[in-house]
Amino acid sequence: MTSWIAFLQEVLLYGPQILQGLGNTLLLAVIITFNGLVGGILVFYLTLSPRSVVRRLTDGYISFFIGTPLIVLLFLMYYGLPQWGLPLSPLTVAVLGFTLNVAAYNARYLRTAYNGLDQQELEAARAQGFSGLEVFRYITLPQTLRLSVPALTNQAILNLKDSSVAFLIQYTEFFAEVQELATRTFQYFKAYLLAGLVYLLLVSIIVLAARRLEKAILRPMH
Amino acid sequence: MALLEVRKLVKAFDGKAVLDGVDLDLEEGQVKVIMGPSGCGKSTLLRCINRLTEPTSGQVIFRGEDVTRPDTDVRALRQRIGFVFQNFALYRHLSALDNIKLGLRKLRAMSEQEATSRAEHELRRMMMQDHGAKYPAQLSGGQKQRVAIARALAMDPAVLFFDEPTSALDPHMSREVVALINQLYLDNVTMLCVTHDVFLARHISDRVLFLDHGCVRAEGDADHLLEDHEDPHIRAFFGRETQGQ
Amino acid sequence: MNFWQILAQLATGAGYTILVTVACIATGLVTGLLVALLTRLRLRALDRLLATYTYVFRGVPVLVLLFLVYFGLPGLGLNVPPLVAMMLSLGLIAGAYLAEVFRGAFASVDPDEIMAAEAMGMSRRQILLAIELPQMLRFAVPGMLNEFTTVLKYSPFAYTVGLPEIMKQAMALAATTLRGLEIYLAIGVLYFGIYKLMLFLVRAIERRYAVPGFIRL
Ligand SMILES: Nc1ncnc2c1ncn2[C@@H]1O[C@H](COP(=O)(O)OP(=O)(O)O)[C@@H](O)[C@H]1O
Ligand SMILES: [Mg+2]
Repeated sequence: MTSWIAFLQEVLLYGPQILQGLGNTLLLAVIITFNGLVGGILVFYLTLSPRSVVRRLTDGYISFFIGTPLIVLLFLMYYGLPQWGLPLSPLTVAVLGFTLNVAAYNARYLRTAYNGLDQQELEAARAQGFSGLEVFRYITLPQTLRLSVPALTNQAILNLKDSSVAFLIQYTEFFAEVQELATRTFQYFKAYLLAGLVYLLLVSIIVLAARRLEKAILRPMH
Repeated sequence: MALLEVRKLVKAFDGKAVLDGVDLDLEEGQVKVIMGPSGCGKSTLLRCINRLTEPTSGQVIFRGEDVTRPDTDVRALRQRIGFVFQNFALYRHLSALDNIKLGLRKLRAMSEQEATSRAEHELRRMMMQDHGAKYPAQLSGGQKQRVAIARALAMDPAVLFFDEPTSALDPHMSREVVALINQLYLDNVTMLCVTHDVFLARHISDRVLFLDHGCVRAEGDADHLLEDHEDPHIRAFFGRETQGQ
Repeated sequence: MNFWQILAQLATGAGYTILVTVACIATGLVTGLLVALLTRLRLRALDRLLATYTYVFRGVPVLVLLFLVYFGLPGLGLNVPPLVAMMLSLGLIAGAYLAEVFRGAFASVDPDEIMAAEAMGMSRRQILLAIELPQMLRFAVPGMLNEFTTVLKYSPFAYTVGLPEIMKQAMALAATTLRGLEIYLAIGVLYFGIYKLMLFLVRAIERRYAVPGFIRL
């Protein structure tokens, strides 16, 4: 018990750094969630292209990024690109890597939701004289987005958790600071337990917010 | 001796009696049809007899043995009662043949060969011998019901229960199934059949029971009960059912 | 260091990557199935415990749990080998997700078929083994495939606890050859190949046990 108190005193000592790390974690999570959504919509739009070359390339993109670990992409950019005289900051690498990866996942969710849509309704809109982009903008997208809310919020949770990977490319986010705390105090178990609890708390907040969002969005549909 | 004697059977859901003192006898080789408005407890009655539902009170005597007692071997009881459902309830991951073999293998511990030949025999009896390798999704409603009957018959039950066996079928398929059940009747298979289908009731039964408000309101010959019963309530009920045909 | 030596080193790594992935998937399948089955007993206290397990293990990052197990537990006098640490972190997290997959798949089994089996006189155990499990596992294939992919994608974390899998080999190679870009590009393709192989195997098993017209309702 006393060791816990001593540990918490250390935590307070490192408090400002840890909070800064937490800020960086949230910053990264928010950016990639936003970028991933926008990118996902773009990629999803491309999967609907009338040109089969575009469709095949897009499907290849989605499949490749779902099939390869994100960490490989991050290492490729962070440790590989300087070889070409292109050194990028950890945050830039993390944002680029995550965006490419999360966009692929989000596009797949949207595509799955789209496959479950009533195709007749889309036909009707087309018959009414809407252009392809207008049909997408006013009918396809709103409907698929609504249906994908659970999957997309789930992805937001994954983004928050996975942002911890960025510490492996020297981004000083929350888990990196916890790592620092652990090595300085030699209290590995307590430090990682604390980290786990903080992530659990943040995830719980997203879960609660997502539940509200789902209720607000899904209600008008029924 | 009666195969089945039901005495003062009561079943209440949340204090509301759905069955309120049902008496019923079924002799070996006899066929009885149970009719009555929907929601009157027909399914519940069948389910109480084989203890899929626990009766609240009363007795069910099966071949002289009270099977409502707590120490009854429920699984052994159920193995002696073949059950055919309205919506077929075939195991969707098994072929028609395997649907029939499952009980023979697991419950009768038959060898693979023995079970196969028995299952094929039952399929032939239901004129389904050419469809044994098909899966439920590949069969029509009438074919599914014939497999379901074969599955029940394969276990060599003392009695067959039918719960609205033709309700989910279109008229044409329904006639096919009625013809087969009629064949069982002519073969002296003991049956208890819940149905709304007057055509089925006339074809297969010696006796019709009219269940309403939780008890047997009337019991008699099919002709008597279905045509000109003295109780106006029963006349009204069957008038409607017959018109529906 | 020539091309073939590099290839041999990556192949060794691929072996370890597959080992880690298979070990974690096996852990996940066993715990997921166990949790889904225990949930069906509907015991209040047990339910709360299982719900806590799935919630916690789905809410904590893999890396944090891995470090907690591998670097944290020795502080409590528990030394855990690297592969076991992966199984206790990534494997148990996969188990939490798979438990949800299996629970949903069990719920999709037609209750009328279960009732028909009961009416036949089959025991709970016989119904589980002959009706529910074969149907449930077929329903669960897409969810399982998702989770297997996730396990493969997190398997590179094993380098942080010293397992000589692909990522670890790649880092060593990048340091000696100073060709990080090519090496990481190559292992990206290698991982994609393993992913495709896994997809192929699961699909082959699925086809082998396919039942015509058997769809989740
Ligand atoms: N498990 C149950 N819990 C509560 N009420 C039930 C249950 N099963 C049946 N009932 C009620 O019992 C009544 C009789 O049902 P049932 O036997 O299915 O009627 P029938 O087969 O004659 O149409 C209905 O009102 C039904 O709502
Ligand atoms: Mg009924």
